[in-house]
Amino acid sequence: MLSVSNVTKKFGSIVAVNDVSFQVEDGEFVLLVGPSGAGKTTILKLLASQFPPTNGEIVLDGTPVHKLKKNQIPSYRRSIGIVFQDFRLLPTMTIAENITLPLAVHKVDRKEWATRVMHVASLVGIADRLNLFPSQLSGGELQRAAIARALITNPKIILADEPTGNLDWKTASDIVNLLNKINKEGKTIIVSTHNQEIIKSHEGRVISIESGSVVVDEPRHKNKKHHERN
Amino acid sequence: MKGTKLSLGFSYVRRAPYQALAVVSVMAVSFFIISLLGVLMYGSEQVLKYFESQPQIIAFLKEDAKGGDVDALEQKLRSDGRVKELKRVSKEEAFELYKSDTSDNPLLAQFVSPTSFPASLEFSTYELTAANELIKELQSSDVVDNVGFTASVGSQNEPESVIGRIRNVTTGIRVTGIVSALVLTVTSFIVLLVIMSLRVSMRRSEIESMNLIGASSWFIRAPVLVEAIVYSTLGAFLGWLSASVVLLYSSPRIFTFTNPINVIPREPQTLLTLLAILLGIQLISSVVIAVVGAWIAVSRHIRFQR
Repeated sequence: MLSVSNVTKKFGSIVAVNDVSFQVEDGEFVLLVGPSGAGKTTILKLLASQFPPTNGEIVLDGTPVHKLKKNQIPSYRRSIGIVFQDFRLLPTMTIAENITLPLAVHKVDRKEWATRVMHVASLVGIADRLNLFPSQLSGGELQRAAIARALITNPKIILADEPTGNLDWKTASDIVNLLNKINKEGKTIIVSTHNQEIIKSHEGRVISIESGSVVVDEPRHKNKKHHERN
Repeated sequence: MKGTKLSLGFSYVRRAPYQALAVVSVMAVSFFIISLLGVLMYGSEQVLKYFESQPQIIAFLKEDAKGGDVDALEQKLRSDGRVKELKRVSKEEAFELYKSDTSDNPLLAQFVSPTSFPASLEFSTYELTAANELIKELQSSDVVDNVGFTASVGSQNEPESVIGRIRNVTTGIRVTGIVSALVLTVTSFIVLLVIMSLRVSMRRSEIESMNLIGASSWFIRAPVLVEAIVYSTLGAFLGWLSASVVLLYSSPRIFTFTNPINVIPREPQTLLTLLAILLGIQLISSVVIAVVGAWIAVSRHIRFQR
């Protein structure tokens, strides 16, 4: 379970995240929504321990993320999967090598690599693209590869920062469906987005952020009314 | 895991062949000059050793010196702790030496006979500072006609002056060599640091991505270290190889020019040992340069990342 309690993040005099609190149960699919600059990405970066909160506590499965020392961070990050808007695949490696990289980082036995890569590649639908380089794939395929890379170490939670930001609606919809499919397999997923189509079609929990604060945190059916009002 | 870091490191080298060429060239030129400076320093030491070990003092004996007195002087010198490698040269031997030295012009030997040459006692000293004392002692001997000192450099022909001059030259070569080697090493280091910083800067987003998927600091640094070590050791090896080829090619001329002083070893095995020692020192230096350079380059870029 993820618990975010009274978290504030300041960059100098700018308050990026202001006293945010929420909890995410195992297996939930949560959308963090809000306009650009609302603080969605900062919250995800706090969850990924890219920087510590100025105040407050973040605890993931008993691990106090806000207190992690520098040498404990790599080990913590190996327990989460991260998907970026710009995919962040290494251009000189094939898709298979990119997906394999976390296994090397996690020191997984080499004998398992091929099986695991084929499993996640089949799950995200790019099994026939494994020997290609990132420059040879479409945006949707690249994001699928990035999701496969996040999944390969079997993390309990996946953080995705605007995973559909660089994609057209059809491809974005496919990616969301893929994330739903992964969520149904038991993974906890937190996605930041400002894509209204995704927000409207989402059936799970939505947390709305504005000016660094949580303004709405309700299940989908109530949240839908809030968005329709706005 | 080791394989991943190595293959990443080698892929970094392949990805930037011109930067690799630039840094390898600078390292190769530096280590080429450092190799030659190393040989020069070795040679200057050999020159000093040669002059220190050669029989420099010759005591020419009087014509009327009695055999018993000469024997006594010879015995006294042989038991003297300052004297090294004493040789007694008779008139006949001196004549033979003269004939040998003038063999290209036999006419010169026809006008002299053994009686024209004085017998002598030739020796060197363990400590050159003792040479002047021994010369003074021999000059006061009844059986010695005069005393000669064979070495001379420039206008100097006093033992201390000659050796002092050689020592100064040797020290000069050594200091110049060490300073030049340091300057070249620092230059190579700066070039490597700049290139590695550039390479790391180009891979910034790659490093960030690896950082975010939980790669340890070592996992991120290792491929960069491999890349730097490849550049540096390849440069050092090429520099050493070039210097060795130049040295081996020109060794016959060096032997002729510096005969009888062996500024470089004449025996192939000793020469190869000298070159192997040079290679070992240079490879170790190049690895140190690479590790420090790459470490600083990566640290500058991941310092602010959690």
